[in-house]
Amino acid sequence: MNEWITPLKEKAERNDVLRKRGSRRRLVWRNIDTYLLLVPGLLLLLLFKYIPMYGIVIAFQDYNIFDGISASEWVGLEQFRKLTHSAEFMQVFANTLLISIYKIVLLFPIPILIALLLNEIRFTAFKRTVQTIIYMPHFLSWVIISGLFMTILSPSDGLVNAVIQWFGGEPIHFFMDNSVFRSVVVFTAGWKEIGWNAIIFIAALAGIEQEQYEAASIDGASRLHQMWHISLPGLLPTIILMFILRLGIVLDAGTEQILTMYNPTVYESGDVIGTYVYRTGLGKMDYSFSTAVGLFNSVIGFILVVSGNWFSKRVLKRGIW
Amino acid sequence: MHIHKRTFGDWALDIFVYGFMIVLGLVTLLPMIHVFSKSVSSDWALVSGRVDLLPVGFQLDTLATVVTSYAFGRAFLISAIVTSVGTLLSILVTAITAYPLSKRHLPGISFIMVLFVFTMLFNGGLIPNYLLIRELHLINNLWSLILPAMISVFNMLVIKSYYEGLPEALEESARIDGARSYTILFRIILPLSMPVLATIALFYAVGFWNDYFSPMLYISDPALKTLQLHLRDVVMENDTANAINRSADDLMNMSPESIRAATVVASTVPILLVYPFLQKYFIKGVLIGSVKG
Repeated sequence: MNEWITPLKEKAERNDVLRKRGSRRRLVWRNIDTYLLLVPGLLLLLLFKYIPMYGIVIAFQDYNIFDGISASEWVGLEQFRKLTHSAEFMQVFANTLLISIYKIVLLFPIPILIALLLNEIRFTAFKRTVQTIIYMPHFLSWVIISGLFMTILSPSDGLVNAVIQWFGGEPIHFFMDNSVFRSVVVFTAGWKEIGWNAIIFIAALAGIEQEQYEAASIDGASRLHQMWHISLPGLLPTIILMFILRLGIVLDAGTEQILTMYNPTVYESGDVIGTYVYRTGLGKMDYSFSTAVGLFNSVIGFILVVSGNWFSKRVLKRGIW
Repeated sequence: MHIHKRTFGDWALDIFVYGFMIVLGLVTLLPMIHVFSKSVSSDWALVSGRVDLLPVGFQLDTLATVVTSYAFGRAFLISAIVTSVGTLLSILVTAITAYPLSKRHLPGISFIMVLFVFTMLFNGGLIPNYLLIRELHLINNLWSLILPAMISVFNMLVIKSYYEGLPEALEESARIDGARSYTILFRIILPLSMPVLATIALFYAVGFWNDYFSPMLYISDPALKTLQLHLRDVVMENDTANAINRSADDLMNMSPESIRAATVVASTVPILLVYPFLQKYFIKGVLIGSVKG
């Protein structure tokens, strides 16, 4: 029976394709007014996102402003060779990874803990007050935060050094000392964002069914047990997803933050890829080299985000896109 | 509710939880209280290092001098202009662009979507962006702070997913009546999307107000300095009198520390004033963004 149905089916399908092609064009034409609404957004996208991507070609040139992209000399991978042989860049790369890893290891778990603990508070006025206070620093700019901490950490009249001296210690020059500068960067990043980053976990906890807690409580489980066996497993998918997202930006150690805090005495410990690109590119006008550094950074970031998303989709059945 | 006897473990947990939150709250507030106290303390108390938590020798002259200084006022005004013009244009373009992209059944839309999303994952980097702004002659032009930031793909995705959740029937009846898509967008879709648009407008506003990186790259003319640039001058430079454009005589009784503290306080107050709105709308936005986008 199938033998004579097949040719008929094929014919029908071919007609279908032809009709679809025609109707596609008609569909576009009929909705041309909708497509026109894309024009301003697309123009901005092309001008400010895709043209700079084309500008990356100067990483393979010995670019100078007078000749421009079209007339500058092509040097192939020369800039990248320079990069891998630069001791300065290796130091910068190490600083970036160190600061980023400190931030992840020390700061990633705290918002989860905050969410778990806030979940135990039944006294709502207290809970709301705490939330209002700890979300606030998120809205302050890095320049303001630098100003706040340069004041409180000041060696001459800051509160922290007053306490250190009261205990008989020597005042610490927090923003001038290579042995503590990274700690200042990590601590201030935490001060700004740990409260805010807890929001997503608080929302995930609110999604856990209340019956689970009630059942456990009737069975005699303590609140600590409930936290460990109900709340934490309920948070796990969110924790893994946020962790993957966080790893994707491991090479951004906080460029804007460090730019507002550092000075030449702490370049040794605090100069990261983002600030280095700025210093060599705009400071020393070494455009091609710093574009190569930036490209190196973007490519690794891209690979990390894409593979993280792939992993998340396979393991969690949930991705960012 | 069943009756639950509080055990020793419950008490211990509560003490830990409340203790932890109180410490966290204090650590968050301390730097702000300290700077505030310094900004309203008398200079002799500051210089002799006597100001810890509470103001010593209360005075408001330093704050008044800073706020009324020409440089501060000008920077504040420039930031206000960039923030209001930038937010208005950004929300308009983002809301318009999100509409066609929410019509996934139209041919080519998914491809254009990929073009937008790709820019979230990969970008040209600092130098190509800088060279483009220079080619466009936008160095020392306030448009350099607005135009490149006008379309945030993340914000657009949030608005798009909101549009997709609106009932289809509303649009269809308008279409049958012969309305064009811009009429539908401005008359039906946008008024229904006010909650999400308010949230995203605040995202943009805070972004423009707090932006330090772009003005640092593109603005060097003192007459065009934004508040964040001005603040950085005062915080990092030793010559605070020069940074706030006052002669040394005017500042006889004011040490650099007190001027610094007062400038930080004066720049923080506007954010604190709108913080109740920010908190309310931002949390909503974070949650919409995490569900989809």
